[in-house]
Amino acid sequence: MFAFIHKLGSPPHFWRLSGTMVPWFSWFAVVLIAVGTVGGLWVAPPDYQQLDAFRIIYFHVPSAWLSQFGYVVMAAAAAVGLIWRIKLAHAVAAACAPIGASFTVVALATGSIWGKPMWGTWWVWDARLTSTLVLLFLYFGYMALRAAIDDENRADRASALLAIIGVINIPIIKYSVEWWNTLHQPATISKIGKPSMDPEMLVPLLVMWLGFTFFFFAVLMVRTRAELIARERNKKWLREVIGRG
Amino acid sequence: MKARNQRLLAVGLVIAGVGLGATFLLKAMNQNILYYYSPTQMEAGEAPEDRRFRVGGLVVEDSIVRKEGTMEVRFTLTDEAHVLPVLYTGILPDLFREGQGIIAHGRLDGGQFVADEILAKHDENYMPPEVAASLEETHKRTGQQQTTGGY
Amino acid sequence: MNEWPGLGTAFWLQLTRDLRLAFRHIGQAANPLMFFVMVTTLFPLALSPAPELLQAIAPGVIWVSALLASLLAAESLFRQDVEDGTMEQLALSPQPLSLLLLAKTTAHWLMTGLPLVLMAPIVGHALFLPGDAVPETMLALLLATPVLSLAGAVMAALTVGLRRGGGLLSLLILPIVMPVLIFGARATDMAMQGLDVGGVMYLLAAILLLAVSLAPAGMAAAMRISLD
Repeated sequence: MFAFIHKLGSPPHFWRLSGTMVPWFSWFAVVLIAVGTVGGLWVAPPDYQQLDAFRIIYFHVPSAWLSQFGYVVMAAAAAVGLIWRIKLAHAVAAACAPIGASFTVVALATGSIWGKPMWGTWWVWDARLTSTLVLLFLYFGYMALRAAIDDENRADRASALLAIIGVINIPIIKYSVEWWNTLHQPATISKIGKPSMDPEMLVPLLVMWLGFTFFFFAVLMVRTRAELIARERNKKWLREVIGRG
Repeated sequence: MKARNQRLLAVGLVIAGVGLGATFLLKAMNQNILYYYSPTQMEAGEAPEDRRFRVGGLVVEDSIVRKEGTMEVRFTLTDEAHVLPVLYTGILPDLFREGQGIIAHGRLDGGQFVADEILAKHDENYMPPEVAASLEETHKRTGQQQTTGGY
Repeated sequence: MNEWPGLGTAFWLQLTRDLRLAFRHIGQAANPLMFFVMVTTLFPLALSPAPELLQAIAPGVIWVSALLASLLAAESLFRQDVEDGTMEQLALSPQPLSLLLLAKTTAHWLMTGLPLVLMAPIVGHALFLPGDAVPETMLALLLATPVLSLAGAVMAALTVGLRRGGGLLSLLILPIVMPVLIFGARATDMAMQGLDVGGVMYLLAAILLLAVSLAPAGMAAAMRISLD
């Protein structure tokens, strides 16, 4: 078990593994997003109430999912790094923050565009929207704290602690809809028993969701590799792999 | 008291604190923390008379009356127990329709609520128009009252 | 067996030491209170002195001002002790660092948070807050200001000693205390509208209990990272 974790946590091993996986993940992402876009924008029927305006869901929901999932990945990596002192985990957390923040921005933007015709306003101060905005601020705080500390070791551990504290925000996002009983509809896909979405509409959404998730991991691996180049620049293994090509 | 016992006590206090906090959260969930009034509360005279506040409810079927040549709309809000007449002037959101859950922001004027802002809430169901039509059909046949939206 | 004072004594000694220090520099300790009053004064000046307008924005003004005042206060919480080496001694002492930092935060709240609660009726009156909403507002502030101090303490421990401390500290504190602001302001707003505030008070009390239970461990962990 420990040998496995140790191997997983070793930068050269990660470098080799990610080198193989990035092309696969990228191609999966490209194909799935292409299929999902066609399925969502052309094949799926219009909604009974919202007509064609609902189609923005195919970008909004996967982005919103990744904005939260990205934070969980970041905090989990940070916690692993903090508890087992694995440098690679800190590199993953550092690489994850800007990606998660970007998806949060996309989720807020698409939600806002959707909200204008549906709710009658670009922005409502509803719980889900507000807590997504707070999530964006948490990402910003994380990145700012990291940037403010020169010592890499302290930056890693301090920002890891911040990420773990921030995770408290994720359940608040999840339950805020029930707490505040406001304008945002309850989550659609979470109802496993009886999905409240027509299959013709749901399948493209799931395809999009999968495609976005592959895209997320592909970018995460590329960014982590870049992070490793910066952190391990004086190590022998890195000189060897870079030197080889 | 020995140091070790004291530490145990401290850990116990932390656990008790978290537990009590969770209990309070549950208690809060059971209480009304909505920031809008329902037509029933207004009927009971709980709403303020001299300031702006929010009312939430469903738009009653067949109650929407538009005044020709103006943006003025009258409709009735219900919470399935009591009703409230509402007057609004302006552009309504797309999702505003009969049976829909909405929140209106405004003042009480006489017996009617004069809204200056309407927010519509859409439901989490997505389906093609045909499915919605057939669902409605079933509802009518079984005599159930259909409410798209909820609030 | 050992000569060290018990946990209660340690907490008390740390608390009284910090209070004594704060009273010796009373001008500095009073800064957040002054700031609170001044920010609330800005709104009538910037908007208009019309009573109905001020009354409508009173909950927001009171709570945002209290939040900003607590941000201002958080910055000086641990700085002095870290600069003169006292914090190193506390970290090395056999007493749990979390307990000592909790004592420091308690002293800090007594000097900067509690005065805000006591000043609220006067500020509220100036903003035409209806008299019957004042007790609820004070109770909500009494529950909320310790949370602001605790959250501020965790983040201050994380950033202590950094050159870009000030602005960064606000960026870290604001998102995590936003729920407190929302519920607090809503408590005041609901009290003004005559709605039942029981649910919101329970929420604030729950947040306070969770913060008191969990924040000290966070402070200690953060401080140890910063002292390394």
